[in-house]
Amino acid sequence: MKTGQKKVWWIHAVLILFSLLTLLPFAFMVNNVFRSNAEFYHAFFSFPGAFKQVATITGRALVGDDTPVLMADEEGDLVPVSKGDALGRSLDQATRGPRLAWKVIRPYMLNTLIVTLLTVTGVLLLGSATAYILSRYRFTGHRALFLFIISTMMFPGVLTLVPSFLLVKWLGLLNTYWAMVLPYIAGGQVFAIFVFRSYFEGLPEDLFESARIDGAGHVQIYWQIVLPLSLPVLSVVAVMNILGTWNNFLWPFITNTEGSHHVISSGLFVLATTAHASNFSTLYAAYAISSIPLLVLFIYATRPFIRGVTSGAFKA
Amino acid sequence: MSVRLQSSWSCYGIVLPSLLLLTGFVYVPVLWAFVSSLYAFEIGAASRFVGLANFREYLSVDPTVLPSMANMLVLTLLAVIMRLTFPLVVARLIYALPQERWRYIYRIIFLVPIVVPGVAVQLIWAGMIYSDFGMLNELLRGLGLSHWAHGWLSDPDTALAAVALVGFPFVGGFEVLIYYAGFSAIPDSVNEAAALDACTGLQKFFRIDIPMVLSQLKLILILTLIGGIQGFENVFILTRGGPGFETTVPGLWMYFNAFSFQRMGYACAIGVLLFVIIFGLTLLNMKYFKSSEELQGVR
Repeated sequence: MKTGQKKVWWIHAVLILFSLLTLLPFAFMVNNVFRSNAEFYHAFFSFPGAFKQVATITGRALVGDDTPVLMADEEGDLVPVSKGDALGRSLDQATRGPRLAWKVIRPYMLNTLIVTLLTVTGVLLLGSATAYILSRYRFTGHRALFLFIISTMMFPGVLTLVPSFLLVKWLGLLNTYWAMVLPYIAGGQVFAIFVFRSYFEGLPEDLFESARIDGAGHVQIYWQIVLPLSLPVLSVVAVMNILGTWNNFLWPFITNTEGSHHVISSGLFVLATTAHASNFSTLYAAYAISSIPLLVLFIYATRPFIRGVTSGAFKA
Repeated sequence: MSVRLQSSWSCYGIVLPSLLLLTGFVYVPVLWAFVSSLYAFEIGAASRFVGLANFREYLSVDPTVLPSMANMLVLTLLAVIMRLTFPLVVARLIYALPQERWRYIYRIIFLVPIVVPGVAVQLIWAGMIYSDFGMLNELLRGLGLSHWAHGWLSDPDTALAAVALVGFPFVGGFEVLIYYAGFSAIPDSVNEAAALDACTGLQKFFRIDIPMVLSQLKLILILTLIGGIQGFENVFILTRGGPGFETTVPGLWMYFNAFSFQRMGYACAIGVLLFVIIFGLTLLNMKYFKSSEELQGVR
């Protein structure tokens, strides 16, 4: 398709405008990580004061300016302090939010990591094993089995939310990882089975036939043929599953009645609605830190992300 | 395709864990929901069979039913409008760029926000529209419009609109990628034929591009409808349904009945009603399962 050069600039202009508007809340978040409450109240639209201070001190050091830096002491009076001291205090102020936030959300991050790892492992194992059977074998009840699995897609979360809670409570699983992991695997495997099934059906039957002639059983075929050939689709399913698990807020919030096993999503909500909420930088630092793991995953696995989100349409 | 019947038992064995989990954590709760909806049941107390009384009470006595259904309708319709327009235009603009490098960069830019937990996004937006020291109000004050600045989420007149407008400009990475995949799948021959017939610009957009991504539009439509009918997390985080019932939606009311008022049977009845609405929509759109399955192959 041919697009004129002038038109291309217009398209860029519109897209950049949309990009900026879309990213604005996240810029707001990152900026606020390093700002004290006082800055919030007195200079709402400004960059972190501590960073400006650092820049001033560094600038003065570079040009050899010996004017002492004025900083507020405990009583709020401005007193001259040495450059090194001022630098240390500025950095201390800038990192106060992240340090406090990390202290609060560290257990949430750990819980999220445990729940996510258990869930994604379960979904990949069960999903691929079931899809392997569904795609490579025909047996009595094959069709019924497929219907049984596909039918679960018509039940929306709103129907099962309350009874699932009652079930987990009845099983004595409230305030455990299993309250999250087991239902997540149960629900997550359905999407995995569909993606895996259509992928496995595309693998050449010769591979399986010759493996069987060599006397390979299900386990060997699965480990030595199916899994090694499925790494790309495994990563897509893994990424989608991690994304879903990471973002699930309501279920962990409900099943952690004692607050002992909060994951990052429910933990952030608890943080925002408790005493810590009075310190803005702690809150925004918590939001920012909680985004880092998925950001790393995103950078590391951009293509599976893109493919996963596109195929994730199927999830509904 | 292989047909190997002698290994049936081992096949059953391998799919057993999947089936057990699906039965236990999907089918049992589904049955439980339907049965519970016929009982008056509070945790710690005995449950009592009440027939359809829960449904009757919700539909005729409950003060929230009309406002919450109306709110749900407004929020869902607005969400439909937003998600069928903004991301579509953005995806079309990205598709129009001549260099693959830029098309990739913009897709990444719009996708990146999905790394921020959804809860955090809602909370950041709440921070942006807070009455005191929220970005929107500070901006208005800065522009000398301080009489406009107020608690957007706490004022009954603006709360619902504020909830609906969270997420501006509504260019979700998910929708952009879906629409972009649709545009990319338009065969070159179609574009060439359009060019030969001097069909360009807006005319091409409405006459050719939109019909070619119709299945993607339908997909986002049905996803948004289902999400709008059952979703209440955003309202829960932003306003908890207040002020009054101004932003309450049926799902949220179900949540409060179950987890604040302990009325489990009543909550299940609301859940069943919402399921019936969603199921009706699903039946109407049975073919979307097919169209979304086709989408899988699309990059």
